[in-house]
Amino acid sequence: MNFDATTIIYILEIVVGGLLVGIGVHFVPVGGAPAAMAQATGIGTGTVQLAAGSGLTGLLSAGLMMSVTDNLWPIIATGAVGAMIMIDATMLTGSWIYAYAVGAPFASAKVNYDPITGFSQPPYVAPGTVGQGIPTICYVSGTIGAAMGGVGGALIYYPLVMINNNPSLSAVFAIGIFLVNAVLASWNIQGTIEGFHDPKFKKWPAAFKACLVSTFILALVAVIITGGA
Amino acid sequence: MTVGGGAAGAPAAFDVKKIRIYGLAGSVLGIYLAWILNTVTGTDIFSFIGAVAALFGVVMGANAVRRVCGYGIGTGVPSIGMLSLGMGVVAVAFGLSVADQFGMGALSVIVTLVYAMIFGYVVGVIANKVIKFNIPVMEEGLTDLAAGGAMAIMGWSFAISGSLAFADIVNDVINTGYIAIIFICGGLAILHPFNANLGPDEKQDRTLVNGVMVGGLSTIATGICAFLTLTPAAALLQLVVGFVIWYYFFMWYYRLVKRDASAVVGTGLLPPSAL
Repeated sequence: MNFDATTIIYILEIVVGGLLVGIGVHFVPVGGAPAAMAQATGIGTGTVQLAAGSGLTGLLSAGLMMSVTDNLWPIIATGAVGAMIMIDATMLTGSWIYAYAVGAPFASAKVNYDPITGFSQPPYVAPGTVGQGIPTICYVSGTIGAAMGGVGGALIYYPLVMINNNPSLSAVFAIGIFLVNAVLASWNIQGTIEGFHDPKFKKWPAAFKACLVSTFILALVAVIITGGA
Repeated sequence: MTVGGGAAGAPAAFDVKKIRIYGLAGSVLGIYLAWILNTVTGTDIFSFIGAVAALFGVVMGANAVRRVCGYGIGTGVPSIGMLSLGMGVVAVAFGLSVADQFGMGALSVIVTLVYAMIFGYVVGVIANKVIKFNIPVMEEGLTDLAAGGAMAIMGWSFAISGSLAFADIVNDVINTGYIAIIFICGGLAILHPFNANLGPDEKQDRTLVNGVMVGGLSTIATGICAFLTLTPAAALLQLVVGFVIWYYFFMWYYRLVKRDASAVVGTGLLPPSAL
């Protein structure tokens, strides 16, 4: 094992990937258990489940592309698209349930007017709740977050495969890095966030610092691992 | 989101230091005992001891989840379980690979444990200092969690591969994808007990017994996987051991539930009016 320029680039790629995952979590509209009862805006599950879901789909699609080519850019793009499809499909089907089964109007409690559509929000927020469903701004924010998560996952996966030539070991290792960063980021937002318009989004520098340190420690050991027999 | 039920410093019948010592010693010695017996006898029949050793790590991890989440972390208990297994899987890959590169495959358990504990401590410091959780037991808890998760993955990986060699574990556990089963089943054993039992009446013994019970279920799962990697006799033995552990601790758990509940009433499957 020798630390040449390529190794340093690999470490940097893993660190940037980890940071993208950590920041990307802040974009995804995570509603948690309250959202599952249509009492808060966002997708009705936890950050880690969403991050892991989009990240794993991103890894899977990146891995598929990597079996065809070694070029970094199409791999990153495929990872991003895979993660975006995963989160968008989740938000879309979730919206159908909120709209047609729960019967809740989509409204954000964090802003008075949806920054994209300009629709007024407060009249539609039911008393005692903090918004319902997935308004346009959350949908767009979630798609951006998923793209960042997918790019991050692909950026972690790519150097690992280049180092150890073992896709399954790299995938498992990438999932480990992914989960650590996703959990640190979700702790930073205290479990729920609506997207980049949420006041909590301003806390991202803390997650940036946390993910930087943790990913760096992980990246240092990642480049040492060999692919086995 | 889940709000931590058991109040900070919830009453604990078992001291955390004792659980940590038993957890670390039990899992490390158990994995080595299984490895020595397998190597000396030249069979893979003792692989199930690795799965039993994993249960020690699970108890330590479940106790750490209980302590940290008792303060309320705002993101639900599953997040910390996934963090534990995420740190664990990285530590296991690192420990096995490094020990293999230095030609001392047997040292992998120690390397894994040391890296997991250091990394867990660093993440704990980050969580308290950068993310500003200010949970007094955070560093300690995450050190235990990372070690517990790493030992659980190590133990069950050994139970499937029957060997501590990096190449064997990569071929039998990682390339086959069984690592995903270990990841989720092991995660459940660590995160589920507190998630299921939390509340004002949460009791430490009930939570930990639940952890071992889920660990027994995970051993059944690895036993099924082992049919494709070990000899049928070894896999069958592991399956039976898993079932016995599950059954024993399930009955124990049921006794504790009856002890702590004000009343346990059978309602039948459905009320007659609904049929």
